[in-house]
Amino acid sequence: MTLRDLVVIRLGVAVNLVIGQVAAALLLPVFLDTIGTVLVAALVGPRAAIVAGLTSQVLNAVLSGNFTWLPFGLVQIVIALYAALAARLGAFRRLSTAIPAGLLLGLVAASASAPISYFLFGGVTAGGVTAVTTVIRALGAPLPVAVAAASYSTDLLDKSLVFALVAVVLRSLPHQMAVRFPMLAR
Amino acid sequence: MIGYLPGRSSLHRAHPYTPLAVAAGLLFLAFAFRSPAAVWAVVVAAAAFAAAGGVLGAVLRPAAMLALPTWILLTVLHGLLGGPPHLALGPLALSAPGVERALVFGGRIAAILFAFLTALATVAPPRLVEAMTARGVPFGRIYLLVSTLTVVPRMRARVRQIIDAQQCRGLRIGGSPLARVRALGPLVVPLVLSALAEVDEQALALDVRGGSAAGRRTALAPPADHAGDRLVRWTVLVGVVAAYAWKFAGAGR
Amino acid sequence: MTALVTLERVGFRYPGSARPALRDVSVTIDAGTVTGVTGLVGSGASTLLLVAGGFAPRLTGGALTGTRHLATERVGIVFATPWTQLTGLASTVLGEVAFGPASLGRPREAVLAAAERALRDLGVAHLAERDPATLSGGELQRVVVASVLAMAPDLLVLDDPAAELDPAGADGLYALLPSVAARGAAVLVATPDTERLARVADRVLALEDGRLVRAGPATAVLDDTDVARIARAAGCPAPLPLDVAAALGRIAR
Repeated sequence: MTLRDLVVIRLGVAVNLVIGQVAAALLLPVFLDTIGTVLVAALVGPRAAIVAGLTSQVLNAVLSGNFTWLPFGLVQIVIALYAALAARLGAFRRLSTAIPAGLLLGLVAASASAPISYFLFGGVTAGGVTAVTTVIRALGAPLPVAVAAASYSTDLLDKSLVFALVAVVLRSLPHQMAVRFPMLAR
Repeated sequence: MIGYLPGRSSLHRAHPYTPLAVAAGLLFLAFAFRSPAAVWAVVVAAAAFAAAGGVLGAVLRPAAMLALPTWILLTVLHGLLGGPPHLALGPLALSAPGVERALVFGGRIAAILFAFLTALATVAPPRLVEAMTARGVPFGRIYLLVSTLTVVPRMRARVRQIIDAQQCRGLRIGGSPLARVRALGPLVVPLVLSALAEVDEQALALDVRGGSAAGRRTALAPPADHAGDRLVRWTVLVGVVAAYAWKFAGAGR
Repeated sequence: MTALVTLERVGFRYPGSARPALRDVSVTIDAGTVTGVTGLVGSGASTLLLVAGGFAPRLTGGALTGTRHLATERVGIVFATPWTQLTGLASTVLGEVAFGPASLGRPREAVLAAAERALRDLGVAHLAERDPATLSGGELQRVVVASVLAMAPDLLVLDDPAAELDPAGADGLYALLPSVAARGAAVLVATPDTERLARVADRVLALEDGRLVRAGPATAVLDDTDVARIARAAGCPAPLPLDVAAALGRIAR
């Protein structure tokens, strides 16, 4: 991993940590906090993206104090690998391929995080997802179904937005900048 | 208060790896036990850990604020909506196994928060960097963990600048959900592009200062690692291994 | 005088670019001198710095043609924006400056001595215990230069180093360059600030569209500073005064 790769990873982590500010300013109910990881996956590769995702997880906990997110590191790895594969397959070349790829990631990521949430924390992590879980449960659904349904609906929106944004960013890269990332050529 | 709090406690003076090891140990212990009594014993241990660092009072408030919404939801999700048998508590019928589950999961969250907020409060980042350098931790890892945090304030400032600039150009921040989603592009793309434009310069600057150097970096003020530190860390490791051995041997309940 | 960098008919093209950034450049940079590089944006001045310092194509990618002899590996580079050149790993100015020597694995005493000496040379020893994030642009740029000088480079390359400094800060920075050269290093500085360059450069290289169009002493090459143009219009004989101080001196005589 070259020094340049490290600087790009750091950029991805910083974007992950800061992007919530943008979503909050727009009052959108999404985290978008994997956008840096996906970007690193497309620009550098899977290994770098995994490092970016795990580092973001740790630093997010340090900044917010909410260390209960730590066990979800596994989900970051899944997201990093999926994003690298999607980039390799050219999913980011058009919005019409990026958004469905993002939806699929939403399914995959939610499938990965729901069991962690259920087994380690009884279906509860924090915030909006859990509120949705509670409502669905109150309507009579069994707990695992409620947890899954809440996870899926928020993740589908979040991840498809992330993939759409990364596609737009990659398209907007000036040629001089784009050639410095060999991964993009593939 | 979240973050480092200067102090002179035994945790502050310990080798930086020690509070981190204890926090990690408490995390693993919290997941090793399944009965509310055992889990809350771990919570008490975590609180004692915070007290040893002289930060119990300071850590209590953020821990409570982070945990409270989750506890409320746990009570509703498991306590009220759980299965039979039910206990009557005034007008409410609480599920007995549900309450037990809520106590276990709630206790885990409390233990984790106490443990790591304490570690955060008693480990000074520069000392941690020195400790990692002295141990030969690769530069890349240290750089990512520490340098990123110093970049965050600048990036936050840039986000505000971009929001202001785009609003001057006519971007509307409010409006329908679709309009707000559309506003994401003009805010996110400039942020990422301007950050990417700095990559070459930053990589060059690091390279020139020896960032690519292969050998062992000199630690300028390596924290002392006393026998007591090592003993504590070994005890934590042994304790965690023992707890999991007990759990998987079927004796845990 | 020893030649530190020799370029013979060197051309350079950035990756993905159709136009070469440098064409057929032949020049020698000697130790103990201050060499200035001027040219409009896109003239290749920054590229010449990167090629002369051995940073291109190693860290930038691209294709180099011609012959380059670089007699040393100890090259330092300083850019215009101070913030992006910080490692982000140090909580004190001293730590930031010591980062370079520490990366080379030198013993602790030598590292601290080198850092303290560099801070004194740059006149920022009083900032040693400050957090770099709290410094002004001018102070920070001095710290950056100190960080690079602490590694005792044989070649110091600066790309528009005073761009973000106020006039006093810029004066101070340029005034340092001859003393760095006096210690045996070679200094190569690219800038559009021809007045300040005229005060300190032994030799100036003028680039246009990637080619070296003029090379010689400052008075011969830099005849388009504001002061020089006024002097020429006033009928002043060659060599024209290039900055205010020289003009005042000429008037006094």
